[in-house]
Amino acid sequence: MNTLALVRLLHLASPTLPVGAFSYSQGLEWQVDCGAIRTEADAGAWIAAVFDAGIATFELPLLAAQMRAWAADDIAAVLDLNDDYLASREAAELRAETVQMGYSCLQLLKALPECAGVAARLADRGDIAYPTAWSGAAVALGVPVEPALTAWAWAWAENQVMAAIKAVPLGQTAGQRLLMALGEAMPARVATALELPREDWSNFAPGLALASCRHETQYSRLFRS
Amino acid sequence: MTPAPVPADAAGTECGWPASLSLAYRALDHRTVLAHRAHHGPLRVQKALYPEGPAVCHTLLLHPPSGIAGGDRLQVDVEVGPAAHALLTTPGAAKWYRSAGPLAQAEQRLRVAAGGLLEWLPQEAIVFDGARARASTCVDLAAGGRFIGMDLWCLGRTASGERYRSGRLAVDTRIRLGGRTIWLEQARIAGDAPLLGSVAGLAGAPVFGTLIAAGLDADDALLAACRALPDPGGHGGVTRLPHLLVARWRGDCTQAARAWFVHLWSLIRPALAGRPAQTPRIWNT
Repeated sequence: MNTLALVRLLHLASPTLPVGAFSYSQGLEWQVDCGAIRTEADAGAWIAAVFDAGIATFELPLLAAQMRAWAADDIAAVLDLNDDYLASREAAELRAETVQMGYSCLQLLKALPECAGVAARLADRGDIAYPTAWSGAAVALGVPVEPALTAWAWAWAENQVMAAIKAVPLGQTAGQRLLMALGEAMPARVATALELPREDWSNFAPGLALASCRHETQYSRLFRS
Repeated sequence: MTPAPVPADAAGTECGWPASLSLAYRALDHRTVLAHRAHHGPLRVQKALYPEGPAVCHTLLLHPPSGIAGGDRLQVDVEVGPAAHALLTTPGAAKWYRSAGPLAQAEQRLRVAAGGLLEWLPQEAIVFDGARARASTCVDLAAGGRFIGMDLWCLGRTASGERYRSGRLAVDTRIRLGGRTIWLEQARIAGDAPLLGSVAGLAGAPVFGTLIAAGLDADDALLAACRALPDPGGHGGVTRLPHLLVARWRGDCTQAARAWFVHLWSLIRPALAGRPAQTPRIWNT
């Protein structure tokens, strides 16, 4: 990967990308509220479990497939995968999260000349999931698939750990230890995701589904999912 | 006899017992009739029943071997025509037997036309340890078509203390509305997978299931009523998505899961079907 592509990838994976990622915990806040997460170890176990039960086995391979579709300029395939991703969001808040982030990402891409073509292709197509817009930007900016998946996984983990630091709460050093452990698992998961055929993707995560359902009616909340 | 070890990648669909069943329901003068049925191999329906009057056709699906073995391929096609209303269920649990290698497959293709309603309420499926099973359900709703489906699984014969440790299970569910996918779940559950114990996965629970109503826009009162239903042990969760109302269960007890789903079904049915729930008698036996 050339240095400019690396810069672009760091840009896309940055927590300062204005898509609102920081406002979502994806069920983690419920796990804290119900007492299932009390410690650094509990938080690490939950985040690793969610990563393995859906991010690594569904979201990453779908992101790779969308990047390949963008590279082939196959917008029908991009949108078919967009439908599948939205349909795979198993609770209202998880769906609302990706639709809001997809929308915000699209607004951003419209304003960036390097990515405006992606935004034009997705205009007036109904709800756009975040991976759909983000994968288009990554391809337009010359980012290869494997590092893109790695950065996506990292950005997700970083956001989850930040949510845990606020919600549990945990100290900053505890958060950094969690990120070290989560990062270590990523290369093997990314390598698997790159090869996983669509019929073997798995988004079966009943624990996440239940946590997300219950978060919808949680009385006091910091996060929107 | 010691069961043969399960080869990792035995394709083995050569042997086994193929079976298929095709049903079509039509509305005629405010009646729903089973206008077409065809079967091949050991899949049957009992004669159509009308316990709640002529508008709703209840049908019992039978698979006389009572279990699905490695190499078996079952295919069920159901089509519900405009304004027709069919309710399908089964007389007992489906069993997925241990396989010496070949994959057992069941595919369900369910189609509902505008104004039609299909209630797909089979009893639970029990997956024996060492089973190799692939179940896929594809629901195609025309705009204005409605569906409610129950999908309940128990890993291992828990009544006799069996744990699911070495099987392979794939369960796919796809629901389309007007040709576009609105629900997708692909579950890949290997007997030795961390998912069985993981907090985001099954957390050691052998029973899981989903009840989905599709093609309705549930109002706040219905969602609140579903959520207010007692759920001892905190095993259930309810959410509302565009055109969908979804209930999930994860727990230890099939009967408790089924009771909760049936109660939810009775709450949802008036909104979905415009009539109160009428529990099929076979469920009480």
